[in-house]
Amino acid sequence: MHYSVLIAPQGPLVAVHVGVSAQRHAALTQAGQPVPAPILANLLLDTGASCTSIDASVIAQLGLQPTGTQGILTPSTGATPHQCSTYDVSLMIPGATPQKIIPAIAIIDGNYLSQGHHGLIGRDALRDARVVYSGPDGYVMLSF
Amino acid sequence: MAEVLELELATYKRLLPSLLKDEGKYAVIKGEALIGIFDSYSDALAEGYKVAKLKPFLVKKIAATETVAYFSRDVDSACITAS
Repeated sequence: MHYSVLIAPQGPLVAVHVGVSAQRHAALTQAGQPVPAPILANLLLDTGASCTSIDASVIAQLGLQPTGTQGILTPSTGATPHQCSTYDVSLMIPGATPQKIIPAIAIIDGNYLSQGHHGLIGRDALRDARVVYSGPDGYVMLSF
Repeated sequence: MAEVLELELATYKRLLPSLLKDEGKYAVIKGEALIGIFDSYSDALAEGYKVAKLKPFLVKKIAATETVAYFSRDVDSACITAS
C-alpha cells in the first residue's frame, strides 16, 4: 500500500489515528469500561527518531498509564541517557486500502503542539516501510 | 509518571542476573512478581493486561545493557531520571 504526503513547512506530516493498544482495548472491554476513541494526530515522519513519540495531550486523552521505560539520547541529554516512560498505543494510517495498522507499539511522550504537530513517527513504526523523499515534487511517498 | 513503575523497575533490576539467560525477550513484572517472559512485545503486553488488568505493570526488554533510543531533536519528555 502506498501513501503520499505533502511536505509541510514542518516536514512530511502523516495523519495517523492513535488509539489504545489492542491489548488494552481488550482489557478495557473486559472490565466494562469505555474504550477511548482513537485520536487523529498529525505526526512528523522523522528518520532521526529511533522510536515514535507522541504529544502528552494525546496520551492524556487516551487515559494511558506507563507500561515501560526507555532510555533516550537527544542533543540536550549529552552522553547520559534520560529515562522516560513508555505507553502502549495502536497506530492506524487511514486513507488507503488496506489501512496500515500497528496493533501495539511502545511510544514515549513529548511536547510538540507548539511546533504545529502531534509528534514523531520514528523508525520503529517505519520498520516495514519504504520511504521516498521527493524534494523537487514536494511530497514523500510511503509504502508498506 | 514513572514513579508508578518504581517498584516494578526495582524488581526488574533485582531479577536481571537471572533473567539474562532470556536476553532479548520481554519480561512482564507486577509489583515484586515476575509474571512471565515472552518472545514478543505484543505477547508480553497481552499477558500483562490479562494478569494485572488495568493496574500498573511493567514490560521490559531483557538486556544486560539498556538499549537507548536516539532522537536528533529534543523531545521534552517527562523524563524520570538521568540514569
